[in-house]
Amino acid sequence: MIDGLKTMLPLAWRNLWRNPRRTGITLIVVAIGLWSILFFNAFMTAWAKSSKETTLQLLLGSGQIHAEGFMDDPSIETLMDPPDQDLASALDAPAVADWTTRVVVPGVVQSEYKTLPATIVGVDPVAEARISSIPDRIAEGRYLSGSDDDSVVLGLHMVERLKTGLGRRVILMSQNAEGAMSEQSFDVVGIYDADKATEDLYVFTGRAASQRFLGLEGEIAQVVFVLQEDTALEDAVAALADAAPALDVRGWKELNLFLASMDSYMGVFVQVWLGIVFSLMAIGIVNTQLMAVFERTQEFGLLRALGMKPRRVLFMVTIENALLIGTGVLLGMVLAAVTIWSLSDGIDFSAFARAMEMVQTGEIIYLDFEPGAFILFPGLIWLLGILVTLWPARRASRCRPVEAMRRET
Amino acid sequence: MPPIVTCRGLSKTFGKGELAVHALRDADLDIMPGDIATLAGPSGSGKTTLLNMIGALDEPTSGEVSVDGQPLSGLSRSQLSDLRLSKIGFVFQSYNLIPVLSARENIEFVLQLQGVSAAERRDRAMNAIKEVGLSGMEDRRPGKMSGGQQQRVAVARALVSRPKIVLADEPTANLDSKNALELVDLMRNLNREHGTTFLIGTHDIRVMEHSMRHIEMVDGRIDSDARSSG
Ligand SMILES: Nc1ncnc2c1ncn2[C@@H]1O[C@H](COP(=O)(O)OP(=O)(O)OP(=O)(O)O)[C@@H](O)[C@H]1O
Ligand SMILES: [Mg+2]
Repeated sequence: MIDGLKTMLPLAWRNLWRNPRRTGITLIVVAIGLWSILFFNAFMTAWAKSSKETTLQLLLGSGQIHAEGFMDDPSIETLMDPPDQDLASALDAPAVADWTTRVVVPGVVQSEYKTLPATIVGVDPVAEARISSIPDRIAEGRYLSGSDDDSVVLGLHMVERLKTGLGRRVILMSQNAEGAMSEQSFDVVGIYDADKATEDLYVFTGRAASQRFLGLEGEIAQVVFVLQEDTALEDAVAALADAAPALDVRGWKELNLFLASMDSYMGVFVQVWLGIVFSLMAIGIVNTQLMAVFERTQEFGLLRALGMKPRRVLFMVTIENALLIGTGVLLGMVLAAVTIWSLSDGIDFSAFARAMEMVQTGEIIYLDFEPGAFILFPGLIWLLGILVTLWPARRASRCRPVEAMRRET
Repeated sequence: MPPIVTCRGLSKTFGKGELAVHALRDADLDIMPGDIATLAGPSGSGKTTLLNMIGALDEPTSGEVSVDGQPLSGLSRSQLSDLRLSKIGFVFQSYNLIPVLSARENIEFVLQLQGVSAAERRDRAMNAIKEVGLSGMEDRRPGKMSGGQQQRVAVARALVSRPKIVLADEPTANLDSKNALELVDLMRNLNREHGTTFLIGTHDIRVMEHSMRHIEMVDGRIDSDARSSG
């Protein structure tokens, strides 16, 4: 068999170039198919990563700590005290890059024209800027100047809906610590630009200002923390839960289930795409190869007449197919690598993301060259390709030796 | 000496019922070692069909073929391949060389199927090339050779595996007069020098003139079988 392979390889290779058109078509089909799979995979992976990072950076952080019950019923009744000694030192551990505290209460925002539900968030702007991207997303005006700043920053879309603007005033209303309604007017000093869902929901003011407004004495709704490494998430959550056994410590995967399942969705999308592309490829390859076998009936008959066993004809044709598809696979890999590298500076998706109301998609998507995918998918396509061409190859091995005697007329 | 090929009651029918064509009807034939026999007869008389049966390329409808004492009926496709490989050489009308292989590679191809070592393959192929008068052309591909030269390569390929018999169907049909005569001479010489047995289906008078045995077919039957001094 080894000797057979040694003499068959050159024969197979030369046979490939006998019909350059057909070989070319198959090469292009395989190369483009594989290219699309590798590119789609890189794109989806990058998109998932970017969506995740964007969402985490927006408000979520790596994780949050609340009082028991807040997640089920976020209200003024389920607030917590600022971190005690134990929790604060756990939050200052090296695994945690940064943390801050927020007041978060449901409420209402009112302009001269409209009243809308909103979530009022009281932040410490300095710490907030290290954790959240919203302070950097100011489209007009400015962000809050300090914890005592009793003005508000609204989302772009909410400003449109309220028909208000910079320098105007809006009224915030919420239940206060005494159980009564607080109502206060705030200056609109800044407008931020995120996705519509975020813009429609969150209204920011200073943390201390919000506590005064709600009649709180230093209570907060949440601690937000950002980790150095996302891979340390489980460990970090466990350590923080140890430090604050009475509190509800959750990582982002528990806070945003959709985001958590995104990774596996991406895997499924890629698999579905692989299935579609491969089916189309298989149809193309099998068709051209069946045609090739049909045209070469006399030649295969000759090989059989000369004493080549059917098994050996099958082997020979399979080697030809392995070379053919292998060459196409190599081409596809080069094509995909070049595409991914040429786009590694990032694809600007800001217009698209906004138009599609995407789930907090990153505005610029950076494609990554992923060696694992460049082994897995080409290998898979190569093997599957050889597998489907076993059918035409079997046809070839079934050619009858009398065909060799057929006259050319 | 026992015959190399025996055919007994050999019949071949293509198709069924009204459309049935009886290409061979109850043919008996023995080919003896060292024979150089021609198989002649009108078009459609069954020459090719008979050669196909003897060459184990196709199965008879009834009757039996034995090659070198081995009955063909009951052999598997793979066993028939082995038998063709070891005992039968073929020369076809349309040369039938592998286009992507050089003359030498074409000749070596059957030896490679036989599992002959690379060094011996080369020696034997080069010898065969010399024998058919193509020295210096061993690296040419079929497309770069004349019909006569290609047919010589085919003869070399048929001989290099040292078969018991060489079957040739209209080997000169695509050749001009000069090349046809040269090919006949070549076969004749190989027969004389090495005792190679030939069975040649042909319409070509020049081929018949050089044979020692002349078999005439009519309508699927062996009509006459005569030996001459050549
Ligand atoms: N595969 C086939 N299917 C149907 N009929 C066939 C087939 N092969 C041969 N025949 C018929 O069998 C008969 C004998 O054909 P064969 O080819 O053996 O004749 P031949 O003597 O070789 O003729 P020629 O001199 O033209 O080569 C012819 O009538 C032919 O039409
Ligand atoms: Mg014929």
